[in-house]
Amino acid sequence: MNALIYTSALGIICLLAEIFNLRKLIIPIAIAGLLAILGTVALDWNADNSIREAALYNMLRADSFSLTFSGLLISLTVLLLMLSTDFYKTEQAKISDYIALILFILAGSLAMASFGNLAMLFLGIEVLSISLYIMAGANKHDKRSNEAGMKYFLMGSFASGLLLFGIALVYGETGSFDIVEIRDFIATHQPTSMLYVGVGLMLMALLFKTGAAPFHYWAPDVYEGAPMFHTAILMTVAKIGAFAAFYRLFSACFIPVMMPFGWVLSIVVALTITVGNLSALVQDSFKRMLALSGVSNAGYLMIAIVTLYGKTDNAVFYYSLAYGMALITAFTIAILVYRSSETESFSGFNGLAKRHPFIAASLTIAMLSLAGIPPFAGFFGKYYIFSEAVRNGRMWLVIIATINSIIGVYYYLKVVFAMYLKESDSNAAPLQIPVIYSVVIAITLTVILAVGLFPSTVLGWL
Amino acid sequence: MQLVYLLILLPLIGFLVNGLFGSKLSKTVSGWLGSLVVLGSFAISTKYFLDFYTGSLAAPIDIKAFEILYFQNISIHFGILVDQLSVLWLMIVTGIGFLIHVYSIGYMHDDENFSRFFAYLNLFIFFMLLLVLGNNLLVTYAGWEGVSLCSYFLVGFWYKNESYSNAGKKAFIVNRVGDLGFLLAMFVLLYYVGSLNFSDLKAEALGGNIPSNVALAAALFLFVGAAAKSAQIPLYTWLPDAMAGPTPVSALIHAATMVTAGIYLVVRTNFLYDLAPEAMQVVAVVGAATALFAATIGIFQNDIKKVLAYSTVSQLGLMFLAVGVGAYTAAVFHVITHAFFKACLFLGSGSVIHALHGEQDIRNMGGLKKWMPITFVTFLISSLAISGIPPFSGFFSKDEILAAAYEHNIGLWLVASLASLFTAFYMFRLVFLTFNTNFRGTEEQQKHLHESPSLITIPLIILAALAVVGGAMGIPEVFGGTHWMKNFLAPVVASGSGAAHAISHSTELMLISIASIAAVVGIAFAYFRFVKGGALPLKDGEEKGLQKVIYNKFYVDEIYNAIIVKPLMTLSSLAYEIFDVLVVDGVVNTLASITYWKGKQIRLLQSGNIGFYLIMMVLGACAILGITIWQL
Repeated sequence: MNALIYTSALGIICLLAEIFNLRKLIIPIAIAGLLAILGTVALDWNADNSIREAALYNMLRADSFSLTFSGLLISLTVLLLMLSTDFYKTEQAKISDYIALILFILAGSLAMASFGNLAMLFLGIEVLSISLYIMAGANKHDKRSNEAGMKYFLMGSFASGLLLFGIALVYGETGSFDIVEIRDFIATHQPTSMLYVGVGLMLMALLFKTGAAPFHYWAPDVYEGAPMFHTAILMTVAKIGAFAAFYRLFSACFIPVMMPFGWVLSIVVALTITVGNLSALVQDSFKRMLALSGVSNAGYLMIAIVTLYGKTDNAVFYYSLAYGMALITAFTIAILVYRSSETESFSGFNGLAKRHPFIAASLTIAMLSLAGIPPFAGFFGKYYIFSEAVRNGRMWLVIIATINSIIGVYYYLKVVFAMYLKESDSNAAPLQIPVIYSVVIAITLTVILAVGLFPSTVLGWL
Repeated sequence: MQLVYLLILLPLIGFLVNGLFGSKLSKTVSGWLGSLVVLGSFAISTKYFLDFYTGSLAAPIDIKAFEILYFQNISIHFGILVDQLSVLWLMIVTGIGFLIHVYSIGYMHDDENFSRFFAYLNLFIFFMLLLVLGNNLLVTYAGWEGVSLCSYFLVGFWYKNESYSNAGKKAFIVNRVGDLGFLLAMFVLLYYVGSLNFSDLKAEALGGNIPSNVALAAALFLFVGAAAKSAQIPLYTWLPDAMAGPTPVSALIHAATMVTAGIYLVVRTNFLYDLAPEAMQVVAVVGAATALFAATIGIFQNDIKKVLAYSTVSQLGLMFLAVGVGAYTAAVFHVITHAFFKACLFLGSGSVIHALHGEQDIRNMGGLKKWMPITFVTFLISSLAISGIPPFSGFFSKDEILAAAYEHNIGLWLVASLASLFTAFYMFRLVFLTFNTNFRGTEEQQKHLHESPSLITIPLIILAALAVVGGAMGIPEVFGGTHWMKNFLAPVVASGSGAAHAISHSTELMLISIASIAAVVGIAFAYFRFVKGGALPLKDGEEKGLQKVIYNKFYVDEIYNAIIVKPLMTLSSLAYEIFDVLVVDGVVNTLASITYWKGKQIRLLQSGNIGFYLIMMVLGACAILGITIWQL
């Protein structure tokens, strides 16, 4: 489980490469390095349980959950880096900073997906968040980007405070930062209200990081203000990392004390899904629509936390995979469209199907997958999470979630409607599609289709 | 990797190349590519066939490739089954498929959508292979749906003509009825037996674990599916209309391969039918009735392809009769011989239509043997075969069915024999009116009369040759043969009431004589009426009485229109106007506007004011802690 160390080192190498004037090589080095790291994760995955669990003084734990999520996060980052080659074409001077920051974001989310100690959790969240604050405010000349960075930073520090306070209270009760020791302590002792408050504070911090209502207010503003490519990072790697931490913390430690939170969490989930969905409904901007749908998607995923008692980690991983792939497809195409039409609204997509049938079909598949239409991956993701919830007696939550999925179809198909049924402006320029973007789309679509058609292949991984 | 995957994938590759890049390829490349991939599949099929033939492969190849879906304790795999039964179908589908592809290169040469045609043909072959090779009902069903889809594409291939595209729709919609039956059968089996796998189902059936009422339900539902696909009463009406497609399509899909899928399905699940004698009874009666009914209609049709279409329906009826009386081998045998001679007949009719530039009415033909000797001879041979004249192939397979029917029930035998007599008559009516006597078309047509190019005649000659010798696969004991096919198929239909030859050799000989004499009588009658007597079919609108009724196909289409289509249309337009527009749309639109309005309200909360955001966070935090502590 040295992926974290390698990734951090890779980030530092990128910074050094700038000094040695190797700017052109930074992205290839980063991609090659990440693929090698992916290889080490795969080796770990194949390794014997007893060997891999004992590493690094239990600061990190290499179990099948952390390894599969690490693999997913690294793969998503590789795809994003492939997009970055073209996105940063005009900003060559800052490229080493950006790439290093992306790698640090990955490092933070790797720590969050595989922590074995609350200190590592906190460290991961902070490494992730600080890098994200910079990424959100990266566009110095855009007021909205500045605002996004600032807002995110102010509110994020608030959430970090909650998390730290929560960790302190839990430590005060259990006397340990180690998740296994905490679990054993809780299992053998009668919990006090100090523990409950501690867990509650940590819960709130993680709700903030995953963008759940009523802590979600930062998300739409930040996602919209940040440059398009950085939004893609925020909504894929950062969000999946945060969710992995959330799920890991509660499934590993706090199941026995979840009882009093069950109710309030269900309300939070229902609220998150509904608010995200209803707000996404009325957006004219494709990016903002995706941002708000990201809020509701976090809600669907959180259903798995409400129903922790069942074996939901398979479903969570499957959903994350489907969600990440569909979003990368959508953002890849959105970046291309934005660049040629200079508008983030749906009208930029008008008539795209006539000019670029393959691009339009790809975006349609991504949207259908996000909307949860079979046979695409998004459908089974929802299906498995919902069926676990039904099995655990949360029927009403599933009903709300299903109604919301139906509402979601409306705004996901809005862009499809624009592409296929609206006429484009007569002077619309054809998209310039770099080869690497086509490669990314081909990869993500293959995964969406393959995983959608043969869900059982992935479901067996955890 | 197993060779069998390549067998399936080759036509798919052909489809993808022709479908995606067809417009950039020349016609020659596109046509030969489409044909060669099928030839490749044929080569692999032959290998498997020879393996089974020589006995080097005795046990079936049953592969579970990967899981498609699982829920509760049910898991369904994508799986492939190569056994004696599927290998026979493979040979027909790829072998005859290849010949028809080659034929199409010549026949479709002037069509602007040439590569699209080959793409569809390849896709059809792919789905047909999937249907035949599936090791469980779901995979077979996937192929089953796929061939329906391709049939729809190909029947409506000349979609600019509205009646043609309507014929495509009709074929598709009638088949949906059957698909529902197929689906229900799968549900029944999944629910009560817990598997769709043929080998599992067979083991359960032989082990006595399938209650007879479950078997009955499943068998009847499957038969609904089979009846639609193989055009049996009451779901046969789509097949004659499907003749709107290009002639190679009629030969490939609507004569030799797809329409026999129903027989395949029933033979494949014969273990279910053995548990449900009532279902077999239904199959036998429906088959016999269809055989006679369609043969009757065939007598008065004047469109060369329509005659052949009704003859196909009638022959399929005979095959179902065979299945229904437990003579599975005889049914398969007839499927194969029928594929030879009927494909040849259709391709021959295509050759005639080609020469006459689209003329299909036999009243405007005549005397063509002078100009088209190869087409004539091959057509004549195939007609002799379908009429059951010894020693052509149809004679052996048809007599086996008649013998089995006689043994089962003399009434069924009578009906089938009558159908055969009619068949001989209308087939030779067709031959004589088309190729004998004098040419009745326009002078312009006569000037351009010519034999078709070799791309068209060579497949005809090969198929005619097969129609002559195909019977060798099942020469009965009474002629000193060993009935190779019966032994070959024994592992698949072993459980079947295969003791078809309980009747004595003398009875069998008597039956054979009666059938042969009946065929000769039918032919002679046609000869005296149309060649000696010089009679011609009446012009449209001159028919009277019973003849008029039959000419109009017993008004079945009109009856269906009146009792099913019209009421459905009325009901659906009522439902649309009242229920859909007012109730459904009303409710949905109201809900949508409420939702949208709520969305606008909620959006206002997203004010951008960070102070407000933080207050909401604090309030949320207080609420969560408050509720939690209250819950303790």
